[in-house]
Amino acid sequence: MGVSRERFESGLTYEQWKAQMTRNRERHDANEQGLKLSAEDLAPLEGLPKPVNVLMLAEDWCGDAIANTPIIGRLASEVDTLNLRVFLRDQNEDLMNQFLKEGKYKSIPTVVFFDDDFNELGRWIERPDSVTKLRAEKQAALYRDNPEFGSPSDTPDKLPEDARIRLTQAIAQMREETKPFADREVVREIGEIAKGIAAKG
Amino acid sequence: MAKKPVKVTITYCAECGYEPQTLALTDTLMRTFAHDISSIELIPWYQGSFDVSVGGELVHSMYRDGGFPEHEVVVDAVRARLAQSEGAVSG
Repeated sequence: MGVSRERFESGLTYEQWKAQMTRNRERHDANEQGLKLSAEDLAPLEGLPKPVNVLMLAEDWCGDAIANTPIIGRLASEVDTLNLRVFLRDQNEDLMNQFLKEGKYKSIPTVVFFDDDFNELGRWIERPDSVTKLRAEKQAALYRDNPEFGSPSDTPDKLPEDARIRLTQAIAQMREETKPFADREVVREIGEIAKGIAAKG
Repeated sequence: MAKKPVKVTITYCAECGYEPQTLALTDTLMRTFAHDISSIELIPWYQGSFDVSVGGELVHSMYRDGGFPEHEVVVDAVRARLAQSEGAVSG
């Protein structure tokens, strides 16, 4: 099926994506503005031999999209080699179905890199595995260190409300504390994809 | 012979966009059972969860059962719990 140039160009620019958001805009923009990028971070993207078309599927209700679309947007705005278009997942099922995670999950954000003829060059989905792993370890530690949170296998409705609120706050704090690592990992992985594309010429 | 109203809890992933499914199920329960439901608790949670408990018993878990529940499954679970309580009260 693939993606045609016309279809790609019909997507939202990054500014249009932001303008149409109906929720989480403040958090999205804070993530964009808080991201620190060095010349070293941008080097792999600037080293791309030709401009690359970048298709991103997202929705503004998705936590991973709010965390990571600003990173992709910032990277694309900082270099001349990434031509970014954003598509809303739930209005573009035909596109989403072409890029399912593990062939079955409609995970977002999904970022697909194409050459000028719209041959796929690379794909990045949702969040880095290293981030998922770190947060799972830290969450397990939260349960281990706080017996009042019960077992991770229990549904939260089993907890007294005050314990559930403390657990919610602890998870939110853990995510905030791991955000700098998560951001670095996203930038690193996108850089690795760019290096791979450049290596193929 | 009075039935004891049942509490239903829906734990949904608030960062996955599961609000429509949560509200649709809540709507079905409210319209089907009215005062036979003692309360419907909605818990915003994480990690792709969509769990439904009826009277403290987990009747659907996205992790365990996959996907969202058919409304009929939850409605039947509430009916069963109400019938159970009726039997207990009358017996």
